[in-house]
Amino acid sequence: MKAVEFNNITKSFGQLTVNDKVTFAVEENTVHCLLGENGAGKSTLMKILFGSYKQDAGTIKIRGKEVNFKSPLDAIDEKIGMLYQHFMLIDDFTIWENVVIGNELSSAGKLDYKKIKARLNEIIENYNLGLDINKKICDISISEEQKVELLKLLYRNSEILIFDEPTAVLSPVEVKEFFKIIEKFKADGKTIIFITHKLNEVKELADKVSILRKGQLVYETTKEDINVQKLGNEIIGNVEIAESPAKIHPGEEIKKTFLEMKNISLVKDKVTVLDGVTMDIKKYEIHGICGVEGNGQQELVDVILQFEKNFGGTLMMKDDRVSIVPDDRYKRGMIKEFTIGENILLKKKKQGILSKHNIDAMSQHIMKKYDVRAPSAETPLGSLSGGNQQKAIIAREIEMQQNTMIFYHPTRGVDINATAFIHSEIVNLRNAGKAILLISSDLDELLKLSDRLSVMHKGKIIKTFSEKELNTDNKNDLLDKIGKFMIGCD
Amino acid sequence: MIRALDRFSIQTRANIVSISLSLLATFVITVILILLIGKNPLPIFTTMFTDVFLSGYGIGQTLFRATPLIICGCGLAFCFHASLFNIGAEGQLNAGAFTMGLIAVSMSNFPWYISIPVCIVVSFGVSAFFGLIPAIIKIKKDVSEVITTIMLNFIIMALINYFLVDFFAVKSTMRTEKIPDSFMLLKFSSVSSFFQGSSLNICFIIALILAFVSYMIIYKTKFGYEIRAVGFNPSAAKYIGISPNKIIILTFVIGAGITSLVGLNFIMGYKGFYEYGFSNNVGFTAIAVALLARNNPIGVIFSAILFGVLDFGGLAVNDLVPKEIVLVVQGVIILTILSINTVVDKKYNLQK
Repeated sequence: MKAVEFNNITKSFGQLTVNDKVTFAVEENTVHCLLGENGAGKSTLMKILFGSYKQDAGTIKIRGKEVNFKSPLDAIDEKIGMLYQHFMLIDDFTIWENVVIGNELSSAGKLDYKKIKARLNEIIENYNLGLDINKKICDISISEEQKVELLKLLYRNSEILIFDEPTAVLSPVEVKEFFKIIEKFKADGKTIIFITHKLNEVKELADKVSILRKGQLVYETTKEDINVQKLGNEIIGNVEIAESPAKIHPGEEIKKTFLEMKNISLVKDKVTVLDGVTMDIKKYEIHGICGVEGNGQQELVDVILQFEKNFGGTLMMKDDRVSIVPDDRYKRGMIKEFTIGENILLKKKKQGILSKHNIDAMSQHIMKKYDVRAPSAETPLGSLSGGNQQKAIIAREIEMQQNTMIFYHPTRGVDINATAFIHSEIVNLRNAGKAILLISSDLDELLKLSDRLSVMHKGKIIKTFSEKELNTDNKNDLLDKIGKFMIGCD
Repeated sequence: MIRALDRFSIQTRANIVSISLSLLATFVITVILILLIGKNPLPIFTTMFTDVFLSGYGIGQTLFRATPLIICGCGLAFCFHASLFNIGAEGQLNAGAFTMGLIAVSMSNFPWYISIPVCIVVSFGVSAFFGLIPAIIKIKKDVSEVITTIMLNFIIMALINYFLVDFFAVKSTMRTEKIPDSFMLLKFSSVSSFFQGSSLNICFIIALILAFVSYMIIYKTKFGYEIRAVGFNPSAAKYIGISPNKIIILTFVIGAGITSLVGLNFIMGYKGFYEYGFSNNVGFTAIAVALLARNNPIGVIFSAILFGVLDFGGLAVNDLVPKEIVLVVQGVIILTILSINTVVDKKYNLQK
């Protein structure tokens, strides 16, 4: 029997189609892996299944019955449970209190503690979760927090479980433990939809695999036919490393170091997020950083921007100010209520009374020079398409003329044309003698642009590929190596 | 009608539409309320209109009552633009005004052109100091300014009470000594007999200038853009290179400091002394004034005058309806503007 059927699911945000006629089914009592790059549309699809988003077109069937969820509450009623990447727990409450909130088993309005606790302990024992339900959340580890989230789902008798990159926060030993729990779920007849970036996990767990690329379902296979190499290729698309704009090579002696990190370490909330990072950024060079999300990339940026000051090791910078194109343009890149000109103005030294005329002229200048398409100079940046917003942000940073620049996911959620434009701008900046740090999870982009490429894993730089190593003819072999470093094996 | 607004920016259009709608809704609700308590709304509105608008005294008193609201509303506009919900204007302005009353008395021997500027600067500083406290607590300990400013109101009022009663009050009153007549500001009624002895004074002009300057700072300087950027999205502002903490401190200091000028209107413009409770909740009403104007200082002038009309008009119809009805109307304005804003912003796609 089919637990979930997606039928022609389509969902767009503005001009960007994130799910494009996605059709596939999840068999009951299987582990179904859903793969794809960041922005491929996995999370959106799962949010639609869980009732957080409403699809534009298409239908969803649960156990053969068509459903129309208005909110996650409806999904929970259908015994669907979601394990989010970011846990939603209240620090000052105990484990059992966190589990019970919103799922009270009550008799006449009064909580029946005994019954609740007995049931929780029964679940914990059954699945070998090893939790003490009287502990407070602030006193337990991240992997235990994850188990509390699992406990929540089990307490509600969820039968279809959605796991969104559950292993990203776990150490290898914890991953093994987690897999055992999943096996037990399966033995108990539950259905699991498993989102991950780690292909070896897929090999180990999956009964079936579906791959999304740019919002479309591009590949499906079953347990017997899983080939990790093939999966990798299907996730990225045919690895056609497109022609980069020509790079100039001024010779090693001119490549001055603009930024140098020596043995940088950072501990945040008791977790080591940067662990002895040593690297540099040089003039006339693009230094790429790749790695699975959350392996210290954000913290690396925070240290360079000096938002984090309590780090160990030494940081040397040629200039105080570094240009940054942040990873999340909505949250960190722009003031979406302001126009293009106003967003640029914030970065400039300006005194006295500003004239609207000059600000609009600034918008116009950017629109023309960088081909940013906006209805008018007065349009708030937030109303432009994602690609144009990103172009405007990059234009702003270019106009600032800083020597060192960081591009963090510069083309995430951006269409093909804007991506090509942004790539050529980055190479142009490099050719003009800027020192560039490019952090991305798009391997294609990294291989195309980087002069050197470092792989980050668990807050460490575990390998730096030199220009020579990157210029190999055997691209597949190179990709394979990078992939292995990304998941921490060498 | 809507078409005629096309030449304005989207935000301005949305503002005009939502303010008009909420005033209309308030009017309807008020009429219903008056009917509910069994009165005829018509004579009430006509009395209010004639008393407020058809006499020079009425106009003067209305504008006099609007003056502190303009001043305080401008101060709050700074805070609100930075998304700092400063509920402490009442305490902040009293701290400044009390200081002003004391300094003016102690500087009796100086000529007015020295003592008045000193009074303004020092009382600004004292009000600003009480704005600095919640700013620092917010930055250091991430405590919501709503709570700290509310609590500071009580602390400040209790301190003033203590200092007044134990040290500075004229015997068996709750006020300071009277300042020299030479320190009193020019009244409109002494220039033109049109105002028939109303208390309207030059502070009204000062308030108008203040509103204009505040408008220019908030909308036409880089500093103003920085304030609004932090208000819209502090983490983006941080990445852009603005220090949200610096902005929080500066807006709180400026916003709270400005409220001290309310003392100028009362002490130098009206009574000649600081009196406990003089402010009559201006610091709270100004929150509504600023909200109604959507934090635009020029808009604050108009919404302050509207509240002035309600305030003085409420007195005029006191024997027809309970004067509390004015408070109800003020409350209804806040509720309608807050709820209608969201709906209109959605219609204009301005949702955050």
